[in-house]
Amino acid sequence: MKTPLFPFKAQIIDIKIETADTKTYTLLSKDAAYTAKPGQFNMVGYPGVGEAPISLSSSVTDGIFQHTIKGVGRVTKFLERFKIGDEIHFRGPYGTHWPLDMQSGNDVLIVAGGVGLAPLRPVIHEIVKMRNFFGKVTVIYGSRSPDNIIFMDEIETWRKDIEVFLTVDEIPLNMKWNYDVGMVTKFIDKSTVNPLNAYAFICGPEIMMLFVSKGLFFRGFLPSRVYVSLERRMKCGIAQCGHCQHGSKFVCKDGPVFAYKEITKLPDGLL
Amino acid sequence: MSGSGMTGENTFQNSDFLIKKDIFFEFIDTLRREYRVFGPVKEKNHYAFREISSASDLYMDYSTTMLSPGKMFIYKPKEDVLRFRIESGISIEEIRYGVEKQIIVGIHPCDIHSILYLDRVFLGDFIDPYYKIRRENTLLIALNCTKVLENCFCSSVGTGPYLKVQSGYDIVLTDLGDEYLVELKSLKASQIFNIKGKEAYPDIFKLKSDKEEALLKSFRKSIDINGLDELFFKNLNHPVWILTADEKCLSCSNCVMVCPTCFCYDIVDEMSINLKEIRRFRQLDACQDFKFAEVHGGNYRQRRASRLRQFVIHNLNYTSQYGLIKTVGCGRCITWCPTKIDLTEMVKEIQRNPLH
Repeated sequence: MKTPLFPFKAQIIDIKIETADTKTYTLLSKDAAYTAKPGQFNMVGYPGVGEAPISLSSSVTDGIFQHTIKGVGRVTKFLERFKIGDEIHFRGPYGTHWPLDMQSGNDVLIVAGGVGLAPLRPVIHEIVKMRNFFGKVTVIYGSRSPDNIIFMDEIETWRKDIEVFLTVDEIPLNMKWNYDVGMVTKFIDKSTVNPLNAYAFICGPEIMMLFVSKGLFFRGFLPSRVYVSLERRMKCGIAQCGHCQHGSKFVCKDGPVFAYKEITKLPDGLL
Repeated sequence: MSGSGMTGENTFQNSDFLIKKDIFFEFIDTLRREYRVFGPVKEKNHYAFREISSASDLYMDYSTTMLSPGKMFIYKPKEDVLRFRIESGISIEEIRYGVEKQIIVGIHPCDIHSILYLDRVFLGDFIDPYYKIRRENTLLIALNCTKVLENCFCSSVGTGPYLKVQSGYDIVLTDLGDEYLVELKSLKASQIFNIKGKEAYPDIFKLKSDKEEALLKSFRKSIDINGLDELFFKNLNHPVWILTADEKCLSCSNCVMVCPTCFCYDIVDEMSINLKEIRRFRQLDACQDFKFAEVHGGNYRQRRASRLRQFVIHNLNYTSQYGLIKTVGCGRCITWCPTKIDLTEMVKEIQRNPLH
């Protein structure tokens, strides 16, 4: 019997530069049977450097999938130097997924901040693919500044199927920006989704998720249908190392995608 | 599972014997041919679980040990999990551990319960093969307590001083002076237990429960676990967390290290000098460490008070993790705290003066 800590190898078959510190890596798994659901994550790493939990930013087709990674920690910074053809290792998928098994006709509101759009991208792809299944769909994506926007070229293609609000906190001097300015919360009221009929999926900094959730409840969204994806540092991904414990929850196993009401008012969290 | 089956091993006939102690120790010595035997020994002025070379090394009257046998010989404090080689690509090799049959003798009821708790962590949704192979090849011989120490509170959480649970271990001993009452609790135990003794008669069990009754009266520490989940939930900002953390807690992690049910680990990569070979191992980690709940751009438990609260609440609440309270009432975290922080006292303070 193999340890669940045993990783698979994956080859980097493409790299796309999203921003100055964020890249999308297209990986080919050496395990052909590998599959994952939108919102789940892998422990991605390299020998000698360690592993970090990273959500998939795409679905999995024939062992090919994507991770959009911002270089901020030991592992993610190390990954920045990798080139097409290089090997890394990964294991997963772990955790819960965004609940797309809703009834046909439900509206969906997606709110993302910064690199938090990455775990929601496979949801958007799924919605675009099965557009008639869903009711009204809105994406509100906010970032600190125009040069922190990820998937920029792709966002435009979403517009023909779904309502998109693209916003930045501020525009640096002399930078051109044709979209909105302001916090994502500002656009909740502009969305055409019907709150009582809608699911909301939020991913971004925890403080942002807190204010977005509050804004949604104020507007009539039900806490049981508001979902967030939490971020914690993890060593194992399999509910053993204990690092991601949040209250009685293991973020790796019980999350990372939680219904808001499951995790509200737990110790050491903002939500 | 064979040997120390966790549940459902009701296919054998429970049998109980009265055995002279010296005969029992001879039996242990015969087992050393086939098993590595671990048990409590006396070392200068303390006791510890060690491998023994003769049953005469055993010190069955031991009070308590700093470390529990479950976190020494089944869940190892440090364990190699993978080896990597980097040439043109990566090669990954798992570490295989040989089957080594072992017996742990003289485990107090709290420490048996701590192993049953670790079973849920490592044999639950994700099975840890290293834990599993050792657990299956380890016979657990429990020993009901004969004394209650200053920091024991097992009677408050149902884990002692006498073992009540009927499976998940192999034999339980009760000290009756010159003899042990030997109760066989697994198929494996009934197979290896080959010595003749008097069969235990009903009066013996009366004697046993009288002894237990007497012991129950001598507990000095207690905790009322009723409603703790809700109480903690309403008192996350109780001053006891901040006061105890500011005035006493050193964040030394002694409490976590000696806790028989604290399971958290870190995973570390160690690279050879030529940068080609990597050893990945895991080792015990502690929520009291500042970096434990760090994330990019922040730390969920930056404050000492929130780290202390994490330890206390994890031990006394969070029954929703595995359906049972984590503490086994062994009192080690109190005994080995350099500033004598006592989680039972913290709880009492909240119960006396709740915020809501």
